[in-house]
Amino acid sequence: MKKRIAMFLCATMAASLLAGCGNKTSNTNEKPQNDTAKAQEISIWHDGDESVMSVIQEQVNKELAEDQLTVKFEKKSGLTDQIKLYGNDEESGPDMYLYAHDSLGAFVEMGVLSPITDILEKDAYKDMLPMTLKAGEYQGKQYLLPLYFETLLFMYNKDLWTDEIPSTTEELYTYMEQNTDSAKGTYALVNQHSTAYNVSPVINGFGGYVINEEAKPGLTKKETKEAIEYNKKFAALEADGDYNTVTTLFNEGKAQAIIGGPWLIPGIKDANINLGIKSLSDFTLPNGNSLAPYSGIQAIGVLKHAAENKKDAIKKVLTVLSKPDVGVALAEKANCAPANQKAYDQEKVANNEMISAMKQTAETAQPMPNIPEMSVMWGPTESLLAAVNKSEEDLDTAAEKYQKEAETAIADMK
Amino acid sequence: MKNKRKNRPWMYSFPALILIGIIVVFPILYTGYISLTNMNLYHWDNYHLIGLENFQRALLKVDSGFFKALLTTILWTFLNMVIQIAIAFFIALGLNVKGLKMARVYKTFLMFPWAMPAYVSILLWKVGMFNTEFGFLNKILTAMGLEKMNFLSENVPAFLSCMILNLWMALPFMIMMMDGALQSVDRSYYESAKLDGAGFWKQNWYITIPSIKPILLPSIIMTTFTTFKQFDIIYLLTMQKGSLSGSTLQTIITYAHQNAFVSNNYGLSSAVSIVIFLFIILFSLFTNREIKEAA
Repeated sequence: MKKRIAMFLCATMAASLLAGCGNKTSNTNEKPQNDTAKAQEISIWHDGDESVMSVIQEQVNKELAEDQLTVKFEKKSGLTDQIKLYGNDEESGPDMYLYAHDSLGAFVEMGVLSPITDILEKDAYKDMLPMTLKAGEYQGKQYLLPLYFETLLFMYNKDLWTDEIPSTTEELYTYMEQNTDSAKGTYALVNQHSTAYNVSPVINGFGGYVINEEAKPGLTKKETKEAIEYNKKFAALEADGDYNTVTTLFNEGKAQAIIGGPWLIPGIKDANINLGIKSLSDFTLPNGNSLAPYSGIQAIGVLKHAAENKKDAIKKVLTVLSKPDVGVALAEKANCAPANQKAYDQEKVANNEMISAMKQTAETAQPMPNIPEMSVMWGPTESLLAAVNKSEEDLDTAAEKYQKEAETAIADMK
Repeated sequence: MKNKRKNRPWMYSFPALILIGIIVVFPILYTGYISLTNMNLYHWDNYHLIGLENFQRALLKVDSGFFKALLTTILWTFLNMVIQIAIAFFIALGLNVKGLKMARVYKTFLMFPWAMPAYVSILLWKVGMFNTEFGFLNKILTAMGLEKMNFLSENVPAFLSCMILNLWMALPFMIMMMDGALQSVDRSYYESAKLDGAGFWKQNWYITIPSIKPILLPSIIMTTFTTFKQFDIIYLLTMQKGSLSGSTLQTIITYAHQNAFVSNNYGLSSAVSIVIFLFIILFSLFTNREIKEAA
């Protein structure tokens, strides 16, 4: 009897292990026959702020109500990996995705994306800011429809900043020298001085680059090194440069100003800081150029299978998304800077201090490179910045070392 | 009849074997297969077998950086284990002193760092201890009128900081093991030794250590492996994306991570992983044998 029970349990365990491996399609016959009469749903994956996505979803669904068409945003953490896994999977994957533009090159090379020009006429998105359109272009084709963008801003505490906001970086440095006491833990300005994104305003302003369009790293380029050297003197007065450290210093009133993006605003509001904002393009470098930060454009891409099988529905969704109304809603309800220039004609949008500063910065801002090689450039670039700013390493030696590391990383991709 | 008896153990362990096959064996075999292909970003769906080309490239990666990381890992494992065993031994002895009041309360407090999720502990130490602005250590330095110090920006202080944190996190386990082992030692040995005139050191050297050694061996082997493959402390303290500390400290696992998992070249990454992990297995076998012999 015991033996039988043992064998039965053994068989049950083995069977339960394999449970769920059955064929999902076996029940297809039970599907209701009136699918076509039902409203069609377009699934859009994202990895952003859910409140922003709900603004877009609400706006689009309102416009598409008559077409029996709805969009559904689904948050997926680690979206890049999710698209890698499900990009070509019509059944489990999304129809579209909304994400920062810098992963575009990788998705195109993987063959999961369809150019939006296959679905939408160019005229539909002619009102978008040129910088945002450029961000969604890869190898001469437009793959992304930009919705809103983010870039770095100079944010200051109006109650603490004692002078006029400087218009040159040298004046800013003088003010920092006079108003920083690192022993006491009080700072004039804090910045994540050893991250590539936050040093990009100086690197781009000096005419340097992290990586160029031909996928060549520029860490040893003369202009890049000059920028890193110039950034170093500011870094010495900007605390450790770690994200948590600099945001806490600013929110606790120990730093008068911070260089950061709109993602800092909720925390700053909670801390009751009397916030002032200035565009980084208002600061002039010693070479006469303005600071030129990187910008990240949140844009919509269409998966190949959806472009082939749901072309009409996708076209309707893209058409609605390209209208200024979505931009206005994003600005009013979610404090986002719209990609559509016409949205700025609305008084409420134009009068928003942060959004207008972002719009102004868009004139000098450069979209982050969207080539796949950029994904391996963050590591070496930030190692170089940390080596120079934090470990006092020689700039030339460190630049050579990390340029080589970057070249190896790029070669390893193929 | 004989055959039935022979097969029965296999039948009983069949479900477990399937599970091990799915969870352990399949991923290893699949990694081996991928390492023989050109699967990367540019050949996402259309990858094909390319022979041992990836292994040829992977072996070129076993350069001076790899050996430096290997040496750092050996030093890291050795120092951590020696200090850990020594400190845990004396704390466990203290907890077993006759007449010690509230020993259970102390033991509960000592378990705290072990019970806390590693990720939380590491980030707490990063901000609460080592941070230049809010860290306790820098608060002490500034209170003494000294300059602030970035503990994680240079290799040696970063190594020591990581080691202290590792000890904080790993000691509770070792203390509990030692404590359990100590309680199994027959008290009458100590009474006889005392009568023979043996002092504290002699009692421990000749009675305590030989008695607890066989009981402790499995925990020491286990902890040696955990220390050898430690990743999260070094990565989160010094190499976290977006907040690099400036030190270039690399252990064999962080080196494998950096070289194998950032390129999106899955064929090459799999080959690098296999090469590096073969080294680790060889080294582990060697260490395991040495420990057993020492016991």
